Amino acid sequence: MLMSLKLMIRSSKLFFYFVSSVCSVYFAFNANAAKIPDESLQVHGFVAQGVIDANNSNFINADESVSLELTEIGLNASYQLNDDFRIAGQVVYLNGGNRYHAGPRLDYLLLEWDAFHNESWQASFYFGRVKNNHWLYSSTRDIPFARPSIIIPQVVYFDGFRDIAVGGDGAAVKLSYSDDSLGEIDFNFSRGKSTISNKQADVILGDLSTGEFGHDLDLQASVYWRPANSQWRFGFSALDSTFNYDSGNLDNYSDGSFTFQFYTANALYEGEFWEFTGELFQERFITKDFYFSTFKRDEVGQGYYLQARYKLQKDLSIMARHERFYNNKEDKNGSKLEQNTGGLVPAYFGFHNDTVIGLSYDFSSDFRVNAEYHWMQGAARLSPIVQPDPVANGSKNWQVWAIQLMYWF
Amino acid sequence: MSFYVKNKDEVIKTIFIRIAFVILLFSPQVEAINIISNITADTALLSTTQLRRIYSMRQAHWKNGTPIVVFVLASKDPLHQKFCKEQLRLFPYQLDRIWHKLTFSGYGVAPIQVANESELIKAVKSTKGAIGYVENLLEVKDVNVIKIND
Repeated sequence: MLMSLKLMIRSSKLFFYFVSSVCSVYFAFNANAAKIPDESLQVHGFVAQGVIDANNSNFINADESVSLELTEIGLNASYQLNDDFRIAGQVVYLNGGNRYHAGPRLDYLLLEWDAFHNESWQASFYFGRVKNNHWLYSSTRDIPFARPSIIIPQVVYFDGFRDIAVGGDGAAVKLSYSDDSLGEIDFNFSRGKSTISNKQADVILGDLSTGEFGHDLDLQASVYWRPANSQWRFGFSALDSTFNYDSGNLDNYSDGSFTFQFYTANALYEGEFWEFTGELFQERFITKDFYFSTFKRDEVGQGYYLQARYKLQKDLSIMARHERFYNNKEDKNGSKLEQNTGGLVPAYFGFHNDTVIGLSYDFSSDFRVNAEYHWMQGAARLSPIVQPDPVANGSKNWQVWAIQLMYWF
Repeated sequence: MSFYVKNKDEVIKTIFIRIAFVILLFSPQVEAINIISNITADTALLSTTQLRRIYSMRQAHWKNGTPIVVFVLASKDPLHQKFCKEQLRLFPYQLDRIWHKLTFSGYGVAPIQVANESELIKAVKSTKGAIGYVENLLEVKDVNVIKIND
């Protein structure tokens, strides 16, 4: 089943097929939706368009001009087949300039099996293309109204890794427990791998590579806990993934392999007026060969972000966030990186910091505008990550502003 | 009733009656939100935490095994806001966040949103296992009323 799924997934025609199927099924079932809703079928979607500008960086585009490359469109459907099984799928169209490749994507397409439930426990298995549900915003990173800002914290949710971090083809398990004394506990586990297209590989490796970039394995686990009657929630996650590179003809790179391990801890407070969020992480990135045979690099990077939101009025809130990340904990300011590359890669490619301020206004229950300004420092979270571009990103300090309108149903 | 009373006890009695009247007037019971369910749900009593579990989609079945179908109004609707704060003791944005995450990640389904209170009542009446909320019970017939126990 997974093989056939993957073959289907590779065709971009599936996007249009899916949209037309969802629409026809929806109208067939819900012709009288206004009278009696059909609870088996649910169809939801969103449209968001914005304007964005990045100065002193190629984060959005090479000429640093004001851009409309801030489009996100999605459509999903969920159908309850019987008491135990449900199918669900979502297609998205994304355009974020240089942040990731523009185009349609099959975001998820899965079969859910409700394996066990009682008043306290729920155990569900998911098979097919499943989303990463392990970090605070990993499953909603493309959903404009379900993430904290237009540009989400790049230290954790680096757009250059979006297509491999957003989910994969495989299986996931979700185990939920709730009671009056312990509160709510969720355990998630997933195993799968992403299909990496050439366009996606270019975002990670740059256009000097001619080989094939593949995702071998991705294992992830997370646990979340909200104590009983508490406004706090705490979570931990762990990820282990491996990638390989098969060099092509006249390639600048050799065959190679990459191992990426990522551990996060997070805390969230949800009050009536104040909301606080923090996520901290440690990553280990091992590169074998690739740049040349016998090359080996094993670096441990660390980072965090802290975010506060305050409700100014009923429909207006203000958000402030600070992010910090460095690629190598032994070289936090990147001076060794500059030294080791003979000055070719400036020190500021070793870290990424961001201070953000944003506003969010709700026109109604399903229509919102977000606006924000970022003061960025460093270039460690700019694509392509393996081929730093100090010409396009010649400044340690750079800025981004963005305004985005969003509607959902 | 007048303040011009001669007897001291009568003054105290009058004040007490007035205070009791004001308390009654602003008491949540007067305009309490009632939880209703389809008659197929054989539950007459739920705790606040059970109700929260149902609305945060962590409990998907009634005790008799019937799947729960949750109905709501739009998140900015005053009745929905009141329901969240008074009955669930959650802020509406917290529920929105849970439901958006389920809906747009594929890991679950969100409650079904209807346009107004009368549609919500109609949906609860006609949908097996449905749960919903109303402000005024007087006009509502053929549904199961669930008492919420702290």
